[in-house]
Amino acid sequence: MKQLSRAAVIWQLAAFFATLVPHLSWMPFWLIGLCIITPATRLMIHSGRWSLPHWSVKLVLVMAVIGGLLLTFTRETGVRATVALLIAGLALKMIEIYHRRDALVLLYVSLFVSGTAYLFHQSILMALYSLMTTVLIVAALNSIYQDPLRNDWLRPLKRSLRLVGFALPLMLVLFIIFPRIGPLWSVPLNQNAARSGLSDRMAPGDISQLTRSNELAFRATFEGPVPAPQQRYWRSMVYGHYDGRTWTRLPRREQFRLAEVDLVGDSEPLAYEVVYEPSNNPWLVALDQPSAAPSGSFLTKGNAPLRYRPVDRRISYKSSALLDYRLQPDLPEYDRQAYLQLPGENSDPRSRELAERWWRETGGDADTFVRRAFTLFNREFSYTLSPPALSGYRVDGFLFDSRQGFCGHFAGALTFLLRAAGVPSRVVAGYQGGQWNEDEAYLTVRQYDAHAWVEYWQQGRGWIRVDPTAAVAPERVSQQADRLFADDPAFLSDTPMARLRFGSGWMADFQRQLDALNFSWHRWVLNYQGQQMELLKGLLGEVNLARLGLLFFIPFVLVMGVVAWLQLGGRKRSRDPLERALARLLADFQKRGHPRASNETIQAFSQRMSTHFPAMAGELRALAKCDEAVRYAGRPDARKALLAAIAACYRALKSSRAKEKRLT
Amino acid sequence: MTDSLLRGVEDASRSLEKVLLGKQQQIRLALTCLLSQGHLLIEDLPGMGKTTLAHGLARVLGLEDQRVQFTSDMLPADIIGVSVFEPANGEFRFHAGPVFCQLLLADEINRTTPKTQSALLEAMEEGQVTADGHSYRLPKPFFVIATQNPVTQFGTFPLPESQLDRFLMRISLGYPAPEVERQLLLGGDTRAMLDDLPRSLTPNDLLDIQERCSQVHASSSVIDYLQRLIQFTRDSELFSYGVSPRGGLALLRSARTWAWLDGRTHLVPEDIQQVLEPVIGHRIRPAEEVGSHAGARLVNELLAQVDVLG
Repeated sequence: MKQLSRAAVIWQLAAFFATLVPHLSWMPFWLIGLCIITPATRLMIHSGRWSLPHWSVKLVLVMAVIGGLLLTFTRETGVRATVALLIAGLALKMIEIYHRRDALVLLYVSLFVSGTAYLFHQSILMALYSLMTTVLIVAALNSIYQDPLRNDWLRPLKRSLRLVGFALPLMLVLFIIFPRIGPLWSVPLNQNAARSGLSDRMAPGDISQLTRSNELAFRATFEGPVPAPQQRYWRSMVYGHYDGRTWTRLPRREQFRLAEVDLVGDSEPLAYEVVYEPSNNPWLVALDQPSAAPSGSFLTKGNAPLRYRPVDRRISYKSSALLDYRLQPDLPEYDRQAYLQLPGENSDPRSRELAERWWRETGGDADTFVRRAFTLFNREFSYTLSPPALSGYRVDGFLFDSRQGFCGHFAGALTFLLRAAGVPSRVVAGYQGGQWNEDEAYLTVRQYDAHAWVEYWQQGRGWIRVDPTAAVAPERVSQQADRLFADDPAFLSDTPMARLRFGSGWMADFQRQLDALNFSWHRWVLNYQGQQMELLKGLLGEVNLARLGLLFFIPFVLVMGVVAWLQLGGRKRSRDPLERALARLLADFQKRGHPRASNETIQAFSQRMSTHFPAMAGELRALAKCDEAVRYAGRPDARKALLAAIAACYRALKSSRAKEKRLT
Repeated sequence: MTDSLLRGVEDASRSLEKVLLGKQQQIRLALTCLLSQGHLLIEDLPGMGKTTLAHGLARVLGLEDQRVQFTSDMLPADIIGVSVFEPANGEFRFHAGPVFCQLLLADEINRTTPKTQSALLEAMEEGQVTADGHSYRLPKPFFVIATQNPVTQFGTFPLPESQLDRFLMRISLGYPAPEVERQLLLGGDTRAMLDDLPRSLTPNDLLDIQERCSQVHASSSVIDYLQRLIQFTRDSELFSYGVSPRGGLALLRSARTWAWLDGRTHLVPEDIQQVLEPVIGHRIRPAEEVGSHAGARLVNELLAQVDVLG
């Protein structure tokens, strides 16, 4: 066994821990424990206090880890389980490093695991961090090749920095020209199952859970005037069907029969760009009302954007919206009936009764009806993030008993009332509001901005958007959710650190700056593939494989050339004219088939050469004598004589070659 | 003066060549070792002339010598000496052992136990011995020439690295060439010839020579070369550990003496190359165990890999 130095062990541990850090947020506790215990064991083994574990111990550990993984990730077969398996493998490898080969396995797998961090985080900080991790791992790789007796700490790091430094230009070249291949397999991240993202169904209470998450939903930039907060309704889904408990989209067979979307607008469409976070769901967001489908998607009959495939990685798309519009001023009978659907005949009798009474009292005017509902909401209802659970007739329960709820409750109840009164209506889900970043001019919308509102239809005016939540809590619409909920203990209760984001002072400032930086990073770096083709076309004219290869090859050769020159050529050239002359003479001898062996002094070499070239024995003897005097006898005064001797030898060698040529 | 000293050494060398036929290189190395004030380890199979060389050296250098045949039941007192109670005056009196001499021939040193081996250690390093809590100084100069059988032989206790390190050189004699062997078989009794060897130098001459050798000029080029050699043993994968600083100093000391024996007042790389194998052969260990005498092959590799000119 080749002993590893102490520094090498420490470097390995450092690399290991650096690899782990990005995964700490989701790793199960037992795995974190394992990742602390095994490196500690490694240290004890290395210091000689413990011996390497017996195979039976290792077997038990492996069984325990497999069991733990199976239990922890029962319902997941995705990325987290795989990465957890790799990390557990790394941790176990820690205690069975016998050979350098084992350390190599550890470090190579660490490199892979540090790459998997991008499956979970893609911020610019993550990029910098993973660069640092790479430096650490390369340093560890260096250190295991170090002589165990030379326990040098800094040398591996210096070498690693140099190596990574050399690799950076290549990395840039690869980034710019390497073709972006679509995901070969879809990576099921599945990490938000319980908490974030809109759902394709809405049962009151769902969205109050959603509100607690401060995860980023999307970011948007506008190419025209920025819409006012009250206008920032981001449409994502339309629920047309209610089964007494849950609002869902209209069944597919009904959707087929609905009329095509007919959007009439007088104003100029507002163009904008959205950078959308992966949600693993196919629906996107579009500012009310979308006048064109975002690229890669289409608009449903409810005029909501839907993608052909789930969003499994961050995407960006462009779209445009009409802020003043008439959506479907004419609605066929079939559509009207579809948007009047209610569960059964007898559900929620009190609400139906209320709707009928109001309809009579308002003289069949939908607008007055809605205002009436708003007045009621405003006076008698309260807005809360943690409403009581409802059972039985839920609309009745909400309207007459609990009287508190969140946007989903209000939107669902109002739609129910409108339908009961015979007004076609539907619930629209999406996001409302967002945080405007003044410096960088973009809007950040987080999962707590998720919202639900109502659209009802009037002949000639089309679908009219009303927000019952605005009636009970107008601040919800005019302010950002974070300001509004800041005092509610339920808000962001599962992410205590997030509250810092909303504090004032330098911390909040720093957060905003960082967010802006990340936004640019996402727009320009992560979504680079769009510009790649154009850039390559500008650079190459026509993009074909040969030119692409050349484009890659030239920088590669340049970098490798610089490395080779630094490693080989740059060092050997001596400044001393004497050494240079001597090197030239030796090179000449080499050309004649007589290279100097590295353990041969000039004296030994001269002696050997005088047997091959008896004609120049005298010159060679002089060379040997002068060289010895200068080099070894400490007589710098002989330098001139040595230069002359070298020149003489050089000439003698030339003339001997000329003679040979004449003879042949 | 210098010339007479050099001539004395040459005479000594020639005399030794008469009793140890065809071993000029080994004789010169042995002389170099002793003239560098170092202890010599001769390792070879029995009957190769180890003892003859040691005896001859003692004769020609005019040193008072003692021979100890090491056996496995030997005790430290057998070498150092023992305090004996004298009833006449009621006191203990120290009876000096064989170590009190100018040249101690320790025959087959690896046949004895480590305890006895280490008794020699103090003597070799400090020039003194301790018995019954009392230190006794050894005469000056004091040399140890130890012979040992290859460690692969039965009944041997290999010398530990710490003790090997105290020997300046380790040489082996090897079988004689066929024509030399024929001469040997035809020749007379070497034992009688040993006693007839003329004494070429005095102990005082030895001290003078040592003084002169230390004045041999070592240019920075030579020192650089020496350093590159040592560094290579430390960096290379071939070695499981490299040469210690003491090993480096030993190399320089021996090379200086070698240069002086050549009649030069400055070092050249060849001096180092000549003494390299005997000086560092027993101080390095190959990374992989490939037999007891991997040292020579390793040193050849070392010489081939390190450029003399830098």
